[in-house]
Amino acid sequence: MSTPVLSIEGLSKRFGGLVALHDVGFDVAEGEIVGIMGANGAGKTTLFSLIAGNARPSSGRIVYEGREIAGLSPDRICRLGIARTFQIVKPFAGLTVRENVRTAALFGRLGVRHARDADRHAQPILDALGLAADADRPAAELTLSGQKRLEIARAVATGARLVLLDEVMAGLTPTEVAQMLDTLRQIRRERGLTLLVIEHVMRALMDLCARIVVLHHGERIAAGTPEEIGRDGRVLAVYFGAHA
Amino acid sequence: MTQRGLRVWGVTLVTLALGLALLPLVANAYLLATALGLLMWLALTQSWCVFSRMTGYVSLGHVVFYGLGAYVVVVTWQQWPLPLAVLAGGAVAAVFAALIGGPVLRVRGPYFVILTFGVAELVRYAILAGEAASGTASRILFGAPDLILIYAAMYALALAATVLLLAVSRSRFGHGLRSLRENEEAAETLGVPVVRYKLAAFVLSAAIPGMVGGVMALRSTYFVVGQVFDPMISVTIIAMALLGGGDDTRGPVLGTVFLFVVEELLWANAPLAYMIILGGILAGFVLLAPNGLVGMIDARRRGVGADAAMASTAPGTAPAVASLGSAPTQEPT
Repeated sequence: MSTPVLSIEGLSKRFGGLVALHDVGFDVAEGEIVGIMGANGAGKTTLFSLIAGNARPSSGRIVYEGREIAGLSPDRICRLGIARTFQIVKPFAGLTVRENVRTAALFGRLGVRHARDADRHAQPILDALGLAADADRPAAELTLSGQKRLEIARAVATGARLVLLDEVMAGLTPTEVAQMLDTLRQIRRERGLTLLVIEHVMRALMDLCARIVVLHHGERIAAGTPEEIGRDGRVLAVYFGAHA
Repeated sequence: MTQRGLRVWGVTLVTLALGLALLPLVANAYLLATALGLLMWLALTQSWCVFSRMTGYVSLGHVVFYGLGAYVVVVTWQQWPLPLAVLAGGAVAAVFAALIGGPVLRVRGPYFVILTFGVAELVRYAILAGEAASGTASRILFGAPDLILIYAAMYALALAATVLLLAVSRSRFGHGLRSLRENEEAAETLGVPVVRYKLAAFVLSAAIPGMVGGVMALRSTYFVVGQVFDPMISVTIIAMALLGGGDDTRGPVLGTVFLFVVEELLWANAPLAYMIILGGILAGFVLLAPNGLVGMIDARRRGVGADAAMASTAPGTAPAVASLGSAPTQEPT
């Protein structure tokens, strides 16, 4: 394995007395899909917020492409090539779907100068995520599934090399989950992306990821291939209450 | 906006600009003074929109820039050449915006509204106290320039403010501002430098009101602090922008002209009931047409466009937030 794209060491985040994340570390290699697993409140979304710059770590290091990024502003981090989606979707509700994606192309890592070029860049992404038919409707009119796909479309349109997907499959039907998995694989292959995926849909996570990191109460309790995770004593204890 | 809408608007705007430019040739002093008022409100409202309409941060303290500009012209009276003093008024307003922008722009929503109001009042009372301490309750400017020169200067400022809003609205910068208006955290996470952009818009929207204040000080020739820092100026700007609606140049122009004309008519014909009727109109707009005149026009046009689309099975209708900044190519004509 060459040098990792993303390297996290001893990462902690405290909100007052609450420890949301404690001494978490792992590496992500170029082109890899790594899953983040854990119950509600395990610290998954906090981890994403720290990587994307939406929150500052209390301690620890986040190294992206050999560069310390902890504490940089979200827009700087985005321009360096990391994009995230939000579990609770945050569309630009009053703008059209196309304008939403245009923002990402204009201001992300690519920093396209003109709206026309940005739209040209955005079109295949809208197509891939099944948003082309709704491109000129306000984002507010999309269904929840549509807004989740819009989150992905925007993140990809920034030209990011590393995309953080926060529960983009939650609330989808099994058929939609299967479609989404295909779409994600296709986008990753075509664009050579590295993905970090938070997911509650276990099957999807096991199916998609080569490696999984398990968080519990803000600590990393396991990491490995889906098979290893499925056999891990601590994970089984946490999830099923079994004795290791 | 549709291509046709864009053309109609372009023609309207050019007609208005030409009419106001040629007015001094035919108008008497009273009419010219009235038109000066219209130009002043146009310049102020267009400037306000560059920041407040584009970012969604509603400034209830824009009079502070107007007042500072007026104050600069007054204190440099007969020491600095006038054009320089007016420009300095704009510069002081812009610098002031840059200084307070850092802390003030950290808060959003109602807190921001109250904060801007508070800052404006703070400056008003600080200058009032300073004037009182130096023993000047009011100042009179002798030898102010002719109305025609003041009119020309105000015309230039109204034009500049309109061009500024037009340019910002269509630019990449404007697209970033709209994004942060819709969702600041999402905009920031997608690479929009929100802190820098908000500050830049705030400074841009302060400069012209500073110069407007400077020019208006020449018009009144009698300077009272309470008058140039009157909070009603801030409120009127917002009322005009709300009546206009939208986030391109149409809103401020339509809203300003509408409110200004109604105000003049009422004031002249129904001096007693004037404020009551005006209040009724404002309340009616907020309740019945929250998106203002631009919203009404776009809704009408969208209705027509949708019928045309159905008849010809052409795809797409106008987006809800139609603007000069969005590509107008997907719509049926």
